[in-house]
Parts: sequence; structure tokens; C-alpha cells
Amino acid sequence: MAAVTPASVPAVAVDVYTLPPARPWYTDVVVRILRRKPLGTIGGAIVIVMLLAAVFADLLTPYGFAQTSLRERFITVNADHWLGTDQLGRDVLTRILYAARISLYVGFGAVGLGSLLATALGIFSAYWGGRVDLLLQRVVDAWMAFPGLLILMSILSLLGPSVLNITLVLGIAFGIQNSRIVRGVALSIKENTYIEGTRALGAGHARVTLVHILPNVFPTIIVVATTGLSTVILTEASLSFLGLGVPPPYPTWGGMLSLAGLDHMYRAPWLAIWPAVALSLAVFGFNMLGDALRDLLDPRLRGG
Amino acid sequence: MKQYVLRRLALAVPTLVLVSLIVFSIMRFMPGDVVIRMVEGHAYAPTIEALRKELGLDRPAVVQYLDWVGGIVLRGDFGNSYWTRQPIFDEFVRRFPVTLELAALTILVSVVIGILVGIVSAVRQDTASDYVGRVLAILALSVPYFGLAVLVVVLPSIYFKWTPVWTYVALTTDPLENLKIMIVPALVFGVTRAGPIMRIMRSALLEVMRQDYIRTAWSKGLPERVIVLRHALKNAMIPVVTLVGLQTPLYIGGSVIIETIFRLPGVGLFFFEALTRLDYPVVQSVNLIVATMVVGLNLAIDLTYAFLDPRIRYR
Repeated sequence: MAAVTPASVPAVAVDVYTLPPARPWYTDVVVRILRRKPLGTIGGAIVIVMLLAAVFADLLTPYGFAQTSLRERFITVNADHWLGTDQLGRDVLTRILYAARISLYVGFGAVGLGSLLATALGIFSAYWGGRVDLLLQRVVDAWMAFPGLLILMSILSLLGPSVLNITLVLGIAFGIQNSRIVRGVALSIKENTYIEGTRALGAGHARVTLVHILPNVFPTIIVVATTGLSTVILTEASLSFLGLGVPPPYPTWGGMLSLAGLDHMYRAPWLAIWPAVALSLAVFGFNMLGDALRDLLDPRLRGG
Repeated sequence: MKQYVLRRLALAVPTLVLVSLIVFSIMRFMPGDVVIRMVEGHAYAPTIEALRKELGLDRPAVVQYLDWVGGIVLRGDFGNSYWTRQPIFDEFVRRFPVTLELAALTILVSVVIGILVGIVSAVRQDTASDYVGRVLAILALSVPYFGLAVLVVVLPSIYFKWTPVWTYVALTTDPLENLKIMIVPALVFGVTRAGPIMRIMRSALLEVMRQDYIRTAWSKGLPERVIVLRHALKNAMIPVVTLVGLQTPLYIGGSVIIETIFRLPGVGLFFFEALTRLDYPVVQSVNLIVATMVVGLNLAIDLTYAFLDPRIRYR
């Protein structure tokens, strides 16, 4: 094909001033996601619904999440209680909506904290290198040798169940684990000649790490965070299931499923079904959204 | 090869020392006091201080740590439970077969389902069976195993008057009865773990099927079954083995939940009971033993690579 030079431009000159304005970058991204990632789109839609449910839980339901009504126990389904009521007459739909709020609170809190920690640890370890790196990586090794749930359960049984505790513990665990990935990326960035050049120009360590390495690590962090959300939410649910996560009366999907209510579930199976469905949908949504974002943002991490 | 194994074993020592330090520090320096919990639980002691002294908790943390680790290294003694005063290691050994059997059956279920569906999905790429397989894998990924377990315990008992068997029978006493008990938890756990295996099997096989030696096999006129099963499968197994290995800690963590739901007297239940009682030595030692197993398992997995792909050699 001939190069586009003024000579090869056809008679109809293109008037650059009347060209439609360039589409902002995000419409492009959205269109691409919709076309190439239908499952990711479904996941994203679920996540948005969940977000809305979490934010507007107060407006969506007339009941409080701990509001009991002993005259209305074990209702299967009726006009007032769309998903029925539990052994204390609490509205199941209300509790599921509020549980979305707590799951997202813990999920985003832990992933946010964990991403910060992973970034700081990973970049520091990679940039500093040498003995510090070696020592830090051995600690990370030791941490990874623990079967995840066991050590989290140990810590939480000591700290006691609370929303803050579980967020902190999950966040720190997430941070240590993913610092490995950040470190790997930072290591390869560190080797670029422009880093050497910046150093030669007299930039300090803080400037090199924050201005030159951090932005390049950013896509990886976004991917790690989005794919990690479903794991964190699932872990929170497992811990709450065991009674080590979020304490009552706050509703969580894991807590609603927990063995404490098993006797009631035989009488009212919807007490087990709806939280399980809600949790599965949430995990599905975050999984699919995370996968799609990963493929689009950082194909290197595929299958990770 | 031998040198490689030795080097890896030597590297495992500092890791395990760090593991023991981490778990010990967590147990000692976080809030929560076993002594108070024990007194609340009606443990006999004249005073709280006396109980603390009896358990050796009044000594400096360094001494306690050295006592614990020293016992393990010198005498293979993991200490006694504070509550039952029984040796931890004996109890662990007594309960381990249950957890091992559960894990083995779970892995078997998940690997068989995952590999079969994965192969069909890859070989029949972009057909209806591929889509069905992929949707099933996504479902399996999304449904939490404890949710499924609760549903399996609750729903059949309501609608079919079927309940899982609650009283545990050891494998050695009555293998058939034992299998009847273990198969339901193993199926529940295994099915939910099959999702990732299926996905990775599919993508690995697709990749291998595009390689030159497979084209050669096709051009030799070999039947598809031989190409897939004899030529491609073994090479495609490496990521699958890695994944199963990476997941094993999840099986162990998950076994705590599965054993509590199905009332199986395994290590998981032992651990969970110890947790609720803040039984430090049990929690510490079980964590350490399991971490040791994970480290050993990782080595074993690295060694199977050489078996699966002769191109891999360790030096």
C-alpha cells in the first residue's frame, strides 16, 4: 500500500476541522469489553447491581437488618417478605441486601489495604534488592507456606470477630501474598535504561520509585485487585461461616449459611438457599469481571 | 537430581523456622488469653496465676518459643494440649487418616471431572459440548463449597428424607461403610474444585495441540484418540499438576469447614476445636505440621515435572 502523502490523497480533501471529535478512550474500552467479553459484561452488571444494593439497602427495604418480628417467623414468601423470614422473623431479603454492603465493605477495604501494602512491599523489595530483598522474600515464602485459611482462622480466633479485624487481617494477608507479583513486575521495570538515565540525571530514590516505577506497576495492581476481590469476599464468607468473621447481628452471606442456623434450615430451606445464591452470584460477578479486565489490561497474568 | 533435592530441602529449613516464628508470635502477641478462657471453661486451678505458671505461660516468650521448637527438633515432641493434656502429635496422627482420605477423594473427584471435561472441551473447541463444559466450570468456580455442603445436608433431608451418615466409621473397620460417609463430602468439595482444573486443562491442551509434534502425529495418520491421550495429554498435564499442588493448601483449609459440616473427626475438626478454645500449642503445632507438608508437597510437585516432561532436568 502506498504511503499516504499529499499526492496520493484523492480529490475529495478531508476537512480536518469537520471530523467528529475523537472518541474519549473509555468508550473504546467499553465497546471492546462488550463485544469481546460477554461474560465479563454479565459479571460487571452483577457487580453494579450488588453495588447499588449495598449503597441503597436502606431505601430498598422497609425493614432493619436486625429487626425481629416474632409473629412472622418462618414465612416462606409473601407480599411483605419476598424471600421469606427467618427464625426471628427477620426479613431475608433485607439481610441479603445489607450483607452485600458488609461484603463489599470488607472486600474493598481489604483489597484496598492489601493493594497498598503489596505495592509498597513489592516495589521496595525489588528496588532495594540485595539482602533486604532476600530476607523479605523468605518471609513471604514462609507466609505462603501456610495453608491460607488456617493461619487466618488462628489470627481471627485470637482477635475476635469484628468487621474491622477481618478487614485488616484479610488486607494484610492479601498484601503479603500479592507483593510477590508486584515485585516481579517492578524488577523488570527497574532494569530499563530510562531508570538508569533518571538516576544519572540525579533523581532520588523516592522520585524514581514513585514517579517512574509506580505508574508502570499500576496496571498490574489494578488486575491483582480486581481478580482478588472475589477471593477476598469468598474468604470473608468462609470465616463468617465459621463464626470467626463478621459477628452477629450484622448479616453476612457466610454467617447466614452458618451451622448455627442449621436446625432452622431443615424447617426453612430458603434460609440456606438465598444466601448461597447471593454469594455465588457475587463471586461469579467479580470472577468474570476480574478475568475480563485482566485479559484486557495485562495479558501476561492470564491463567494466573 | 539428588543435589537439587538436597538443596531444596536445605532451603526449606529457614522457611520452616520463619513459619514457626510467625505462628508463635501470632499466638503470643495478639490479644486473647487461653488462661482466662480455661477458667471460664471451668478448668481447675487455685488461681489464674497458678494456672498460668502450670502451663508455663509465665516464662519469657523467647524461652517458651525455644521450649516448643526445641521439643520438636530434639525429641519430635510437639507438646501437649492445654485443655486435654494429651500429646498433640499423637492426636494428629490418629486423626490424619480421615483428612488424608477426604483430601485424596476430593482431589480424585476434582481431577477426574476436571480432566475429562477439560479434554472434551479442548478437543471439541467451540462446539456445544465445549460451551456446556465451560459454563459448568464457571458455575463450579462461583458456588462456594460450604454453601453447597449446607444445601446438600439440608435439602435432600427435606425433600427425599435422605441425610448424610453422621456417625464416623474408620476405613479400617468397614471400608464400604466408610466410603458411604466420605463420598458425599468428597463429591461436594471435589465438584467445586473441578472448575479451575477444567479450565486449565482445556487451555493447556489447546496449546499443546497446536505444537509441531502434534501436527507430525496427525500427518502420520494416527487416530485422534491416540494423539490426544498418548501424545498431547502428558505434556498438557504440567499446569494441571501445578494447580492441584497449589490448591492443596486450600483442601486443607477447606477440610476444616467440610469436617465441621459433615462431622468428620479429622485434623480440621481438631484444629477448629482447638481454635475455639484458644489452645495455643495445638494451633501452633498443627499450623507448623501442615506448613511442613505444604513445603514438602511443593518439592514433590517440582519433581513430577521432570517425570511429565523429559525435557525438564534438575541440576
